[in-house]
Amino acid sequence: MQSNITYSTFFEICLLLSVALPLASFIVSFAISEKYSWAVSITAPLLLLVSALSSSVVFFSLHDDQPFSIAWNWFVISGHPLTAGLLLNNLSATMLLVVTFISFLIHFYSIGYMAGDSSIRKYFAMLGLFTFSMLMIVLADNLLLLFVGWELVGFSSYMLIGHWKEKPAAARAAKKAFILNRIGDAGFLVGLMLLWTHQGSFALNQIGLTDAMAAWQTAASLCIFCGVVGKSAQFPLLTWLPDAMEGPTPVSALIHAATMVAAGVYLVIRTFALFTPIALDVVAVVGIITALIGAFAALGQYDIKKILAYSTISQLGLMVTALGAGASDAAFLHLFTHAFFKACLFLAAGAVIHALHHAQLQAHAHFDVQDVRNLGGLRKKLPVVFIVFILSGSSLAGLPFFSGFLSKDAILTALISWAGADFSWQWLVVGGAFTVTFLTVLYTFKMIWYIFFGSEKKTSELSISAPPAVMQVPLFTLALASLWIMVSWNPFVHTRWMNPAMEHSWSVTLFSIVWVIMALATAYFSREKSFYADVLFNAFYVDRLTDWMTKKIGLKVPAITITLDKKWIDGFIHATAYVQVLIAHVTGWIDRAFVDGTVNGMASFVRGVGSVTRTFQNGKIQLYIFWSIFTIIIFLIWTLL
Amino acid sequence: MFPVEHFLFLAALLFSVGLLIIITKRNTIMVLLGIELLLNASNLNLVAFNQLWPASVDGQMFVLFVIIVAVCEAAVGLAIVLQVYQYYQTSVTDSISELKE
Repeated sequence: MQSNITYSTFFEICLLLSVALPLASFIVSFAISEKYSWAVSITAPLLLLVSALSSSVVFFSLHDDQPFSIAWNWFVISGHPLTAGLLLNNLSATMLLVVTFISFLIHFYSIGYMAGDSSIRKYFAMLGLFTFSMLMIVLADNLLLLFVGWELVGFSSYMLIGHWKEKPAAARAAKKAFILNRIGDAGFLVGLMLLWTHQGSFALNQIGLTDAMAAWQTAASLCIFCGVVGKSAQFPLLTWLPDAMEGPTPVSALIHAATMVAAGVYLVIRTFALFTPIALDVVAVVGIITALIGAFAALGQYDIKKILAYSTISQLGLMVTALGAGASDAAFLHLFTHAFFKACLFLAAGAVIHALHHAQLQAHAHFDVQDVRNLGGLRKKLPVVFIVFILSGSSLAGLPFFSGFLSKDAILTALISWAGADFSWQWLVVGGAFTVTFLTVLYTFKMIWYIFFGSEKKTSELSISAPPAVMQVPLFTLALASLWIMVSWNPFVHTRWMNPAMEHSWSVTLFSIVWVIMALATAYFSREKSFYADVLFNAFYVDRLTDWMTKKIGLKVPAITITLDKKWIDGFIHATAYVQVLIAHVTGWIDRAFVDGTVNGMASFVRGVGSVTRTFQNGKIQLYIFWSIFTIIIFLIWTLL
Repeated sequence: MFPVEHFLFLAALLFSVGLLIIITKRNTIMVLLGIELLLNASNLNLVAFNQLWPASVDGQMFVLFVIIVAVCEAAVGLAIVLQVYQYYQTSVTDSISELKE
């Protein structure tokens, strides 16, 4: 075990607590017996609270200080020792804080949201496992350990999407998420192998320190990006994320909005040194395609959670675009702000669904509470949720005085300076990014308008009660976290107290304020207009594309390999078998006819000679005399004549 | 006086008959008789050739000698045959086949 000694033991204990307590929560949740399953909803949030507090200690004592690393020997493979360790710098410490903090709030919220659920132990256990494995991704100092965490979050995401496993749609969505992620992860694994063969190390702080611009680096970084495409729901593997909304809403908030899907972006930032310019161009193009698809598709949805899911895809696409433009700072800033406001939006949507669902049960009414067309005018019945929704929604839309505005600004500034002065394809990306921000305002406004304004539709005769306090506390905390203060003291300058080195341009800020106001105006005047279109509702049929691709590849390739196997490999084997049998028959015949024939022939010849000579000596004395006389006569005749 | 060829032919005839008896007869006594015929055939030859040299009596002496030996041989041979007969209850040569496995 090796570590630098600039940090105190207290720091190390806090670090240990923040990582180990989610795992402890996982174990405790399973250890508590079924009878006392209510206790889980106390222990799990408590453990996470301690974890979040100790991670804030870690964050504040490490921030802007030198990085901390600690490593243990893991195993030795063919003479190469591999270490497992933690690497904390500004980036991972921030992420540590975000993950534990939001995870705690979600745990807290889940006490109210999941009350009375029959498998609450499994729910909290999986949340704990998820948080632990997410921290593994965040803190790992090498890609192999990161990959282990990567797969573990995939697993816990699968378990949580399929939490209500009795719902066929949930089970299907869980399987789909798992399989699409595996496709991406296969690429990630290949990338790891490439890295190992060329660099002989998985350590994050050694990545890209050898010769830059090598072809293998492009290949390896694109392979790692495959994993990112799967995990962060980028084009063309984006369709699992809207389906994943079948899981409980707090899960959607934690995993499919704030943390896990952002892990892909985080991974690119961690391995940024590996990405060559060509790879970055690919990343930017994939990002902007995803962002546009997500933003347009969000316009065509009516399901609250689907709108938010497509919005998440779109925002992730923006982050990935920023990464492609080389602005990992801006991407991480957006990841940071997005984690708070999107978690908040999901929790608020969850609060609406929860409240309406309970009201529905009392009134024996039956309609889809997630469909925004059935809602309306809820600002009077759910004022708390309304305020929260307005705050976090404004942040998503990127209105001034909100964190979303600053991070979006950072991305746009970085994109413009990346595109340069002359017109090139990169300006298409910039144009795409501006379109996305415009559309974001549009769909956010429409969603809020549908839910909270206008006249009440199917909810008018329901008696709706405000969400319980355990749900309100996380809502307000996260809503406050979507204000500009999270990023910077100045609401118009995103060069935050976390990273003052980023560039900032007033012209971009001014333009984006004008742009947002234009978008708001458009949204207001088109508020009654439906943007529904089949192509938007189905997200440009990307699902069919992936379906078609998986069917084409998934069915054709086995068919081809089967025919190859049957016709050629089996044929070859059969042919060799036939030839062998033939040779065996020939040699067998030669053996019988010639080898055995010689031996047997000699034997029967000898036997024949023997049986002839035997007749001379049959034990009859007179015959002997006869033959003697016969011989003598012959001899006499021969000598005398 | 008869030419010597007549004796030689007679002797050859006797010899052949003797051989034929030895080969074909099953009884041991008959075989002994055949042997006597062979001896007599050779005796006939001896006296016939002696006739060509009247000064010498070697041939006749040999004949007498052969007759004596033949008597002895017949006595010993018959004695053996008697013993064999007592032991095997037969004097057929083919039946006495103890040496044959």
